Amino acid sequence: MVDEGTRQTLSKIPLLKTKAGPRDKELWVQRLKEEYQSLIKYVQNNKEADNDWFRLESNKEGTKWFGKCWYIHDLLKYEFDVEFDIPVTYPTTAPEIALPELDGKTAKMYRGGKICLSDHFKPLWARNVPKFGISHAMALGLGPWLAVEIPDLIAKGVISYKEKTG
Amino acid sequence: MADWEEVKRLAADFQKVQLTSTTQKLSERNCIEIVSWLIDRKMVDLIFTSDGKEYLTPTQLINEIKGELYDQGGRINLVELAKNIGVDLAHINAHLNEVLKGQKDIQHVLGQLIDHSYISRVAGEINEKLQQQGQISIGDLTIHYDLPAEFLQQIVDKNLGKVVFGKQDKNDPRIYYTESFIARTKAKIRGALAGLTRPTPVASILNQVDVNEKMFFSLFDQTCMYGTLTSRLPGAQYIPNVYARSQNEWVSNFYRQNGYLEYDALNRLGITDYKQYIKKQLVNEELHYLSSCIISKSILERVQADIDECIASKSYTDLQSNLPSVFNEKDIEMILNAALTNQQRQQILVIESYVISKAFVEKLADSCDELVKANAKATVESGKYQEYQISLHSSHLRSQKSDDADDKVDKREERRKKAASGKSGGGTQGRETKTRSTKKFNRGGNKNIAETDDDDDVQVKKMVLEVVAADEVRDSIQPLLEEESLDDLLEPLTAHLFPKLNEKGLEAAASIYVATVADRTANRRQTHNELQNKLNALIGDVRLFEKGTKLLPQDVQTQLVKYLLKSLCTDIVNEVLNYIAAEQNLGTKAETLNNDQKLKFVNELPSEFKTPLVQLVKSLSGQSIDDFMTTVEEALIPCSMILKKIDKKKDRTVVLNHKHQLLEQLNKCEDVALALHLATLAIFTTATHCMLHASGRHVTAILAFLKQYLTEEQANELTSYHDFVTLMLSGGSEVENAKEKLKEKLPVIKSIANEFKKAGSEK
Repeated sequence: MVDEGTRQTLSKIPLLKTKAGPRDKELWVQRLKEEYQSLIKYVQNNKEADNDWFRLESNKEGTKWFGKCWYIHDLLKYEFDVEFDIPVTYPTTAPEIALPELDGKTAKMYRGGKICLSDHFKPLWARNVPKFGISHAMALGLGPWLAVEIPDLIAKGVISYKEKTG
Repeated sequence: MADWEEVKRLAADFQKVQLTSTTQKLSERNCIEIVSWLIDRKMVDLIFTSDGKEYLTPTQLINEIKGELYDQGGRINLVELAKNIGVDLAHINAHLNEVLKGQKDIQHVLGQLIDHSYISRVAGEINEKLQQQGQISIGDLTIHYDLPAEFLQQIVDKNLGKVVFGKQDKNDPRIYYTESFIARTKAKIRGALAGLTRPTPVASILNQVDVNEKMFFSLFDQTCMYGTLTSRLPGAQYIPNVYARSQNEWVSNFYRQNGYLEYDALNRLGITDYKQYIKKQLVNEELHYLSSCIISKSILERVQADIDECIASKSYTDLQSNLPSVFNEKDIEMILNAALTNQQRQQILVIESYVISKAFVEKLADSCDELVKANAKATVESGKYQEYQISLHSSHLRSQKSDDADDKVDKREERRKKAASGKSGGGTQGRETKTRSTKKFNRGGNKNIAETDDDDDVQVKKMVLEVVAADEVRDSIQPLLEEESLDDLLEPLTAHLFPKLNEKGLEAAASIYVATVADRTANRRQTHNELQNKLNALIGDVRLFEKGTKLLPQDVQTQLVKYLLKSLCTDIVNEVLNYIAAEQNLGTKAETLNNDQKLKFVNELPSEFKTPLVQLVKSLSGQSIDDFMTTVEEALIPCSMILKKIDKKKDRTVVLNHKHQLLEQLNKCEDVALALHLATLAIFTTATHCMLHASGRHVTAILAFLKQYLTEEQANELTSYHDFVTLMLSGGSEVENAKEKLKEKLPVIKSIANEFKKAGSEK
């Protein structure tokens, strides 16, 4: 299952109500609003806890999302681009978050830089449709993945610290 | 499309949220780290709370302490304070001084902070209490307030007269009273004491009036004029003056009347320190202190008078009955000690409570005199005394041997006693005496002496021969005592008299013994002389008889020698043996022994007698008179007797005497056979001027020998007479006839013998 810290974070993220995908015109809007509210809350929480670790923005329709995420290791900040689409079957299907920079650098990744999520994630998500949204996917999926993989990759020397560009 | 607008707005919001700089929040850990780093560097001065989550500045702490103190009403425990503020106790202690410095009215007492308001409140409370109870002690307050006594004392002292209205006890500064309380207590005590008429323990008074002990003692002097206290201790007694007065009166009256005063009686009256009391009470009296009472001089004088009278009247007096009955034996003893002068002491004997004049005792002793003398005599005669002397002597000798170092005569006696009491014991004799006398002692009921004396003494006493038995003494004085109804004194008097009488008996025995011994030695010397003479005479006879014998033919000679040895010589030996037996203190009578027994007896004699006597006895059964004579001479040497030298003149007179004797006997003789025998011997003596010792059997042989000296006629007369004698002695039918004949011829024979003498002398 998920570790204690994650669980706590998760509990503070507001759950969603509307079950609607991008194709459901009116309801998607509704859903999108809830997604945003949830995200805002999550980010706020993170900032309060001094635990801000990503930036996200979406296209106008809210079907494509992109931004940056970072992980601080040994007082060095490793920053990666992050992007994902909202699947048609969303929210039944979880979004597939991808870190294109790291494509081919680790085994725990699908083609195109999509991260390999833990076994627990999918059933958990499935159980919580439609209550979970993008913010949950970030918290449950990408967060733990980074925490596990990045120190490993750094140790292997696969990635190295680059002086921050921006 | 309002919804999309809204989405846009939300998206914008989202961006905005994301772009707002993250609040640079430090985690708790970091904060702690930073703060402790700062504290380490002494850059800030902070105090941790005990849970570690908060910090205080010292000023804040001081403020909080003051606040808490106020909250708690002016008194707070430091531990409690620490708990309430949530700071470690150490910090409180560290900053306590600052608090105290800052405010003068706060005090730190026994781990507690107390401020002025609290103190004044306490003072108020104390006053209230004092007014209520009348008295208050700091001790009680300490318990009540749980504050140190000194501190409370300080409070009370400071506020005395201001807030606390009362009086401090002078004896005990820790106790405070109100005036009214003291007055009340005094009244109570006075009431109680005034009501008492008997000595009462203070404790019970206190119980009654419900006043505490200290108070009582401190107020006693101020209140009471009616009596005294025996002491200032809790166990003291209160004695009312009324009581003391009547007590004194009783004591002096009793003493005046009776002349004595018992300690017990004083004790009953509650006077425990009676000696002191008596000294105080009976100042001008002449007192004698005894073990259970005191007596006046008059009683003493009375006793002296009694004793004087007793001595004068040569009787006795029983002090127990003459004195008041309260005196015990010890008292009487003490009275006697005080009353008796030395001179009197010599004249009386004190047994229990009886005073007995020596004269009376003498009288008793005299009554036993007879007994003593009789017993002494019996003792000497029975030989016990001699045994006793021997055992004494032997132990004496032993002691001399055991201690040769110094032989001072005066110490000898002592040493003898020592040796006698020693473990070695006496010889056979000594031991016999000892056991016998022990038995007698026990039977004599003389246990008083035996028990009271030491072992040594007992041993010595046992050695002393008991001439008089204690029983006998008792029996002889009993009637006298019963007459005087002094039965009680029988035992002690017996005990007193017995050793003296015994001593007397021993002396008597000694004198009797000396007398008998003197007698006996005189006797012995005489008998010795007599015996010597007798033996000399006998031996002379033997010698002469032998001489006569030698005249006869050889065969007759041996027979005569044998006869001589059997008769006269045996007599001699018997005399000698008897003498020796007497010398050796043996009761043997030699006459009763045959030769073998004699030998046996002789063999048991000491060696000085043994050898010559054995020879002597053996010579009796020999054949030779010569042998006998030599052995006799030897045998007489150890008997310290001497044989006189042979005196021919004397021999002749002896022979003549012998002849005259024979003739005299013959003339008196009526027995026909004996007449012939005597006549024959007389004729022989006259004829040969030699004596002959022969029996009737030898008459025939002698007659045959005599024929040469006789005339025909005489010879015929004698032979016929002899024939008739043999006829008579042989018995048979003609005995009567022969007797007749012999009687007829008897004068003839006598005349022949007498005439022959004449004829012989004519020759």
